Amino acid sequence: MSEPHDGHTHAHDAPPNPYLEKRRNGEETAALEARVKAIEDLVVGKGLVTTAALDRIVDIYEHDVGPLNGARVVARAWTDAAYKARLLADGSAAIAELGYGGLQGEHLVVVENTDTVHNVVVCTLCSCYPWPVLGLPPSWYKDAPYRSRVVIEPRAVLAEFGTELDDDVEVRVWDSSAEMRYMVLPQRPPGTEGMSEAALAGIVTRDAMIGVPRLASP
Amino acid sequence: MEGMAALPRRSGELVFHDAWERRAFAIAVALCERGLYDWDVFRAQLIAEIDQLGAGREASDPAAPGYYEHWLASLEKVLARRGIAPDEDAPPDD
Repeated sequence: MSEPHDGHTHAHDAPPNPYLEKRRNGEETAALEARVKAIEDLVVGKGLVTTAALDRIVDIYEHDVGPLNGARVVARAWTDAAYKARLLADGSAAIAELGYGGLQGEHLVVVENTDTVHNVVVCTLCSCYPWPVLGLPPSWYKDAPYRSRVVIEPRAVLAEFGTELDDDVEVRVWDSSAEMRYMVLPQRPPGTEGMSEAALAGIVTRDAMIGVPRLASP
Repeated sequence: MEGMAALPRRSGELVFHDAWERRAFAIAVALCERGLYDWDVFRAQLIAEIDQLGAGREASDPAAPGYYEHWLASLEKVLARRGIAPDEDAPPDD
């Protein structure tokens, strides 16, 4: 069908990242740290925000809000046809049913992968991303090469991530914006028929919900 | 398959490379939550910052600002427009 050609081990590992992160020297980093500290001191000093509130936000976005939320949404859709219909009709309302929402969760559109359609999400302008279900975007999602190239040559970019699609699979690229943010509903892989909803959530990867890989059988 | 439950978190690389990125992110979100600006205002500034360099140059020059450098510059500008800026940059009125 549509699994990556190079087998399970690779498909379950982090995809090879074609876009390596940038590195700064210590001096540049120190200058950036000073600028951030100046802002923090200013807004804390003005009473606009507390240091504790900043710590809390970091903690929430790094630990509580993350792709496990999206994985639970996907698993529910796989096991509950009525939920799936609601999810595809109104993504924001359907994730709210599971208690997810908030900043960057408005106007969420869920697009479904099928045997003949593969969806992939990008934000060509900046890095709009459905935080409540996927957490914060990975660095490659924010980098210019991915943002610009996936629109022009999606098959080539997907291949670099290890996803080879048959010619008869249509690739749809969804460009996120302030109006719309997208999440991919991956196909439920074969061999998962007996799995519980919780176990299914465990096989859904963040990158599959961005649409870069497809999910392989467990 | 063992370790599958950890996959959604494991599949990615680090979201933040440096502590200051984490901090800049939190400040921007906190001030939005406090109602200092709409998220769309911050986002529009971020797009402008990224656009200023152009995708091509950003792609070819590894020394060009990374994403959170754009983020920081956006935060500084959005705050400055609301009269919140460190000393010499502060506009006359609040």
